[in-house]
Amino acid sequence: MSDWEPKIVAFLCNWCSYGAADLAGVGRMEYPPHIRVIRIPCTGRMSPNFFLAALREGADGVWVSG
Amino acid sequence: MGLSKRKAAYVEYPQAVPLKYAIDPEECIFLQKGKCGACKKICPTGAVDFDQKPVTSTVRVGAVVLAPGFVPFDPARYDNYQYAKLPNVMTAMEFERMLSASGPTQGHVKRLSKDGRDPKKIAWFQCVGSRDLNRCDNAYCSAVCCMYAVKEAVIAKEHVGPGLDCAVFFMDMRTHGKEFERFYDDARERHGVRFIRSRVHSVTPVGTTDDLEVRYIAEDGSLHTEVFDLVVLSIGMEVSPGVLDLARRLGLELTPGRFCRTASLTPVASSRAGIYVCGAFQGPKDIPQSVIDASAAAMAAGEVLAPARGTRTRTKEKVPEVNVANERPRIGVFVCRCGTNIAGVVDVPAVAEYAKSLPYVEFATDNLYSCSQDTQETISKIIREKNLNRVVVAACTPKTHEPLFQETLVNAGLNKYLFEMANIRNQDSWVHKNAPELATRKAKDLVRMAVEKAALLSPLREAELEIHQSALVVGGGLAGMAAARSLARQGYAVHLVEKEDRLGGQARNLYRTARGEPVPELLSSMIAEVEADPRIQVHRGASICRVEGFVGNFKTTLEGAGGSQVIEHGVAILATGGRPYRPSEYGYGTDPRILTSLELDRRILEGDPALGRLASAVFIQCVGSREPERPYCSRVCCTHSVDNAIHLKEMNPEMNVFVLYRDLRTYGERELLYKKARELGVIFVRFSRERKPEVRLEGGRLLVRVFDPILGRELELEADLLTLATAILPQENEALAQFFKVPLNADGFFVERHAKLGPSEFATDGVFLCGLAHYPKPIDEAIAQGQAAASRAVTLLARKTLYTSGTVAEVDPRMCSRCGVCVSICPYSAPSWIEKGPFAERAQINPVLCKGCGLCVASCRSGAIHLKGFDNDQIFAQIFSLREAV
Amino acid sequence: MGIEPGRLQFSWISSAESTKFVTVAAQVTEAVRALGPNTRFIKPLAEVA
Repeated sequence: MSDWEPKIVAFLCNWCSYGAADLAGVGRMEYPPHIRVIRIPCTGRMSPNFFLAALREGADGVWVSG
Repeated sequence: MGLSKRKAAYVEYPQAVPLKYAIDPEECIFLQKGKCGACKKICPTGAVDFDQKPVTSTVRVGAVVLAPGFVPFDPARYDNYQYAKLPNVMTAMEFERMLSASGPTQGHVKRLSKDGRDPKKIAWFQCVGSRDLNRCDNAYCSAVCCMYAVKEAVIAKEHVGPGLDCAVFFMDMRTHGKEFERFYDDARERHGVRFIRSRVHSVTPVGTTDDLEVRYIAEDGSLHTEVFDLVVLSIGMEVSPGVLDLARRLGLELTPGRFCRTASLTPVASSRAGIYVCGAFQGPKDIPQSVIDASAAAMAAGEVLAPARGTRTRTKEKVPEVNVANERPRIGVFVCRCGTNIAGVVDVPAVAEYAKSLPYVEFATDNLYSCSQDTQETISKIIREKNLNRVVVAACTPKTHEPLFQETLVNAGLNKYLFEMANIRNQDSWVHKNAPELATRKAKDLVRMAVEKAALLSPLREAELEIHQSALVVGGGLAGMAAARSLARQGYAVHLVEKEDRLGGQARNLYRTARGEPVPELLSSMIAEVEADPRIQVHRGASICRVEGFVGNFKTTLEGAGGSQVIEHGVAILATGGRPYRPSEYGYGTDPRILTSLELDRRILEGDPALGRLASAVFIQCVGSREPERPYCSRVCCTHSVDNAIHLKEMNPEMNVFVLYRDLRTYGERELLYKKARELGVIFVRFSRERKPEVRLEGGRLLVRVFDPILGRELELEADLLTLATAILPQENEALAQFFKVPLNADGFFVERHAKLGPSEFATDGVFLCGLAHYPKPIDEAIAQGQAAASRAVTLLARKTLYTSGTVAEVDPRMCSRCGVCVSICPYSAPSWIEKGPFAERAQINPVLCKGCGLCVASCRSGAIHLKGFDNDQIFAQIFSLREAV
Repeated sequence: MGIEPGRLQFSWISSAESTKFVTVAAQVTEAVRALGPNTRFIKPLAEVA
């Protein structure tokens, strides 16, 4: 497991964190490339089923950000 | 700002629209020395053109709007603050950049001297380049610096930590904007920002260090010195020489402060017909006021151009939509290179090749620039040729480019919701440039997730609604009348509802404006125009008792003397105004010599000859304002009292006139009135909330005792007239707030969509606000906001029809268990109960009101609600696609 | 339910706070990396196949 790299699913609010992520790109800031973003309209859309499913499907971590 | 370096080829700032590079001719080696030209050789699209020259073109227009802004005052002129010499003396603009997360220090506050260390003590000096005729020619107040200094001090403490000592040196703290006084109270009491009432004499370096010794004289006359690590100069606003030159060439009249002259009744019209003005060129102002002016100027220009509206627009031909129902998904994937922006990091051909292997993908390719005109046409052609019914573009971000690609789909006959984007630039290549392999893997994952979701997309419909071409304006004061007048001039039918039996509102009680215009004349001209306009129907003595419907289709029931009446309207403007506070303090009501400001205006309006014979008059400010139970500034009272004090002095120069105040808030060029009052001999005495003046009657004499902090002792003033500058209260708006589903703040004023960017509209579509219902304000600002609210309303009315968004929630009534959570949880009141039919008493969602947030979907215990475009199966598809590692 | 607390992270970031986004993104990644691969909750491969 020496070459193991974490797999992280991020549920980002379209109006908040998703915008911040875009702006981080504009600023050419760097962060680890292990995050896979799923855009949601608002964190209100978030349901526990989503992160349970993500963990069950093999994600090592789930990040929900509004 | 000189805080950091930039290259000769640069983007103006990260949020610039369009986000395009430019070349600085002053620094470009090719333009300066004729050598280099590397950018031209390397640019794959050949966008670099060194031969571009400034071009003069002539445009024929019907109206001009000037919004040239201001320049920050250059404090190098203040030699005793040594801005040019001392590295740790900086301007507030520079400090603002330092606080910015995207600024040169990424929000890290540090000293600009060589040590670059974190500061422990920071001082702000107010009124640098404002309220000063000694070192500059700016007698006016710049109106924004107090608030920005308080804000900077609080944010600096957040960035550096609570141990940071922040001290603001000021003359009068002018936090007269909406919610500003609360912020000031919090800064002082919760964040521990120190406020020192003094104009600092000088700054000198401490020995050979870069620390700064600040010398100042406190209010009681004592001399102090204190050492700071950083000094921030709160610089004011000036009109630039270039703008003054433009004004001269256009023949515009200017004010004494060199701003564009306007009038209270026409606050955004310059002295030249057809030329309108907004923003800081009209006078120093903050963002909300600039935004209000901007809308008002657009309105004023639109009014004169109303007959020409729509004459030069072209309508696009509609491509018939292909029915994709029951078709197997045929997905096209377009992977964008974005020049080298993506392809420089991500292996784009490999991603496109990988996409071909994914289920339902019929076609995949890469493009140099997916957003360019020719690529758009190519995509459109490929959709038709390959008979694609879903499209995935892997490129930048949907937040900026989704609408563009959706239009491409529409042009190819596809429903625009059959589109999905994979963000492989902003959230991949740009942020992982040192890990190209992992970035390519991430790109493949993101494309796979998008494809899996795309396979489940279905065409969504946007309901088309007619917008009723009329407006309801609630409140017949100046703001409401200004809104009604503007809407009528634009050709719309207006219902103007006034609860009293006559128009005019609070302005009926006012004597003159800060510009010296008589209010009764101004008011009667406005009323005459409104009453004469056949498009405005005035409902006097009427109130609203019921509102049904939503944006575009409201049905409002009015109740009046003549019974009730139902009005249909597309938009509503709330201009309910304010009312004066009735004081219980300072002996009000016990003696006829004690008046409120409005009662004094009434006496002046009636030409009371007794006023001129008074030996002394006293004004007390902040009566009911800036108190714990009403923690806001009423904005107009300082100017009002100062102007009335001037009036009394002009009637009788021998009269002793005193103004007792807490902070004198004659913002902008109103400061000139304050200056004039002092020159006429009006005496200003400051008091604090803890030590208020005391009023008593003694043997028929009316006496006011006040502690003078400069003299350090109590004064006893005999008053023949005592005027109380009472607070402005909102009307009782609760019922109206419920009718239109709009919020009120803790003080009872309406809450706008956005404090800075949406000051004249509500978050609820189709409902707008203006005047004192928003916040206390003087006549010119109320009229400007009336025009602004009308302007925002016209942008909606002029569309004639409205499309609802396709990404809205929908209830499957068969699954609904009638728990009611969605009805109570929705911030937009979109869900309601079905009234009749087989599904009666189950929930339904109005697609017009739904904003597609998904709150109800997540809270529905029965799984009955679906959010189109972000449905469970679509999000699960994205999650499940993670299983397959690349 | 057997999920280690660090596997699920919440944050609130405004659309202007790109620096905060990057910081939190790095923190989340590090927290998950420290926990190692998620083995306790994952659906066995055989079941999917």
